[in-house]
Amino acid sequence: MTERLLHVDSVTVRFGGLVALDNVSVDIARGTIHAVIGPNGAGKSTLLNVVTGLYRASEGDVTFEEESLSGRAPHLITRQGIARTFQNTELFGEMTALDNVVVALDSRYACNGISAALHDGRWRASEAEARGEARELLALVGLSEDQDSAAAALPFGKQRRLEIARALATQPKLLLLDEPAAGLRAAEIEALNRVLLDLRTNHGLTILVIDHVMALVMAISDRISVLNFGRKIAEGVPEEVRASPEVIEAYLGKKAAHAFSA
Amino acid sequence: MAGRALIVAIAVAAFFIAPHALAEFHLFQICLVAGTALVVLGLIVVTGFAGQISLAQAAFVALGGYGSAILAARWGIPLWAGVPIVSIGAFVVGFVLGQMTLRVSGHYLALVTLAVTAIVQIALIYSDNVTGGAAGMPVPAFEIFGLTLSTGGQLYYVIVPATAMLFLAVHHLNHSHYGRALAAIRQSETAAELMGLNVLRYKAAAFGASGFLGAFGGGLLAPLSTYLDPAQFGITQSVYFLAVAVVGGMMSPLGALVGSIVFVLLPDFLQAFQTYLGLVFALLLLGFIVLRPEGLAGLRLPKGIVAALPRLGGERR
Amino acid sequence: MLAQVLVSSITAGAVYALIALGFVLIYKGTGVVHFGYGDQVTFGAYLVLIAQALIGLPFWPAVVVALVASVLLGALIYGGLMWPLRNASLLAQIIASLAMGTVLREFVRAYMGPSAWPFPFLLSPAPISVFGILVVPANLAIVGVSLGVLALLFLLFERTFHGKAIMAACDNRIGASLIGVQVSMVFLAIWILSSVLATVAGVLVAPLLTLSPDMGLIGIKGFTAAVLGGFNSLPGAVIGGIVLGVLEALAGTYVSSALKDMISYGILIAVVLVRPQGLLGVLAMKKV
Repeated sequence: MTERLLHVDSVTVRFGGLVALDNVSVDIARGTIHAVIGPNGAGKSTLLNVVTGLYRASEGDVTFEEESLSGRAPHLITRQGIARTFQNTELFGEMTALDNVVVALDSRYACNGISAALHDGRWRASEAEARGEARELLALVGLSEDQDSAAAALPFGKQRRLEIARALATQPKLLLLDEPAAGLRAAEIEALNRVLLDLRTNHGLTILVIDHVMALVMAISDRISVLNFGRKIAEGVPEEVRASPEVIEAYLGKKAAHAFSA
Repeated sequence: MAGRALIVAIAVAAFFIAPHALAEFHLFQICLVAGTALVVLGLIVVTGFAGQISLAQAAFVALGGYGSAILAARWGIPLWAGVPIVSIGAFVVGFVLGQMTLRVSGHYLALVTLAVTAIVQIALIYSDNVTGGAAGMPVPAFEIFGLTLSTGGQLYYVIVPATAMLFLAVHHLNHSHYGRALAAIRQSETAAELMGLNVLRYKAAAFGASGFLGAFGGGLLAPLSTYLDPAQFGITQSVYFLAVAVVGGMMSPLGALVGSIVFVLLPDFLQAFQTYLGLVFALLLLGFIVLRPEGLAGLRLPKGIVAALPRLGGERR
Repeated sequence: MLAQVLVSSITAGAVYALIALGFVLIYKGTGVVHFGYGDQVTFGAYLVLIAQALIGLPFWPAVVVALVASVLLGALIYGGLMWPLRNASLLAQIIASLAMGTVLREFVRAYMGPSAWPFPFLLSPAPISVFGILVVPANLAIVGVSLGVLALLFLLFERTFHGKAIMAACDNRIGASLIGVQVSMVFLAIWILSSVLATVAGVLVAPLLTLSPDMGLIGIKGFTAAVLGGFNSLPGAVIGGIVLGVLEALAGTYVSSALKDMISYGILIAVVLVRPQGLLGVLAMKKV
């Protein structure tokens, strides 16, 4: 068994009377692409929000590299090595693509306030270094041409990739992608898949993708967990999940499940 | 670079020529504009850049004015040292207050800062033995290098360069990781947090900076007005500073300057309508926030001028 | 002595409660925190004076005219200010409401002068003795009106279809419009209602306080009462108001007048820092 990077341990999340996640456990192995799928409202985004510290789990715990994340502030979890993108992209719209990435690099490169107030040599050096690395990250996701465009002005597919570049700038060990393919055309999905496979294979990144479109994740995932109504109903390699009657039922309804099994 | 050097040269020349070309009254007004602009610059940092509304600016101004005057009167610390000392104190106060308040968002900060202003004013009124109470206190003269500066024409040599340097520093900080972080936080706090930014600390730092600049401005304005009256430091005054910022433009340091020029000079043009001055200011604030929230500094000027203006900061007078 | 302090302080508390109810009504109904509400209360009282001076009306008809004028004011605030800013940032809305209050305050300062005006009591200000405690009918009226307004608003919000429609409109504008609620009409109604409430409060409060352009600063005490009660709870606003009134009176009687002046601001800060959801409120969770 490969080493476990993220361990979601029996997590339950309640909002008032509503149970968004019900005793869900998921293990993500280092160096894999793991997908969590499920219909809308299955609790996928809630899971990401718990891992990144935006929501508190009502019960259960999340450990990262065998260290508990519970109660930790989101920015500290990010510095621990978990980065994410957002379903409806949360870019800094008025800023250039390059600055979007530089923001995420600042916690590593930023110089002291006095240098920044004077714009002295030390400030110029750190600024140049951060910009250099930001350009490399933009190149990695194929956005070199767009570095000076305002983020909000980019087409949607490029915004998605910019979010990935920005997330990578925090030097994550684990990258969480919230429905990265939603709203993308087939060619854009292809481009995205190539980026993700490259990140896993050549940069040793672990990736957790959540999506409700099975087609995308089937092609690139090493392992898939399926959520429905806040519960985990199946888990395995893509072929196993595809064949699971519970999964077919969740997606297509009872009748279809019978039709498939018949 | 050559263009920039030229502009700086012109500004420096203008700075030294102005006292000989202008009347004392105008130099006094230039000082008033500079001091007000500094106070409003603080508001622009916290409300414009960081997106957090503050109604505590009058309290910080009071802290700067009273603080440095009391240091001078009681402990003999000259104003040139007292003003920066008190301003650093105001930064700490703002930072700590921000750390405590900014967990809850939006209107709560407005409420808390409103309350802080009210408390500071009441404290000034009730601390008779230190502040002179409701009657107020005189401000010791500004003494530096054995010189005593008391008129607008004399204080000009302190207030204008100090304001220019602080404007330049804020301009630089706004174009460094501090400004980037604040812009990011303003546009998506969640994303900024998940990029590893300590959102609370940046916002608190912006609030601290507003305290620093407010106190510095207050410290410089006090010797200009020569007298401190607690009635000048209430909630109404905080709203006045907010109006200056909104009319000038919240999104660049230039807005502080433009707004201050408008609000300082307007009373001269409206001398026949003194009774309506408050109403005019209020209507300006209301009109701008509804019709032109980006303020006067957001007006489209020819590109070359716009590019040159922010760099000049406080020197362009 | 203590009993007398408590009875008197309840009047002050009812004043705060009345203003707090206005805040909560606007906040619950439209999602806006109205920083100019205190000035609107003052303006309401001035409307009566203006009607008396301008048209030469006797007191009671002037009150009626003031109420009608405040209906128009409410419609004007919504149509001229809050509707154009419906998609603006919270910051812009806060500044706009603050600006609106300042405009009203500076208007009365310019038009009616900066000094204080006498304002007649609705009921007798002569105290009568009940079980040895002096009670003022005029003050009782304030307590009664506060409780009456609370009951009315409570019924409106919790018991009628329209009240539920208001809540629906505030929670989910698209959803509300789907079920046939005209959100803009609901918001208009809220602004008119709150303006009328402001004038009622102004007329009741003006004789107790000094009616000057700066009376609107009382608004902050209304804020404190609302925050103390949780900001989105109508009964909370009343309880917050009474608690504040009592604490102020106790501080003033037993400690110092400095503390009496400061305590409401101190409470405001303390509640926001320690328990922002107030005594009765619940904290909303942010959605990502």
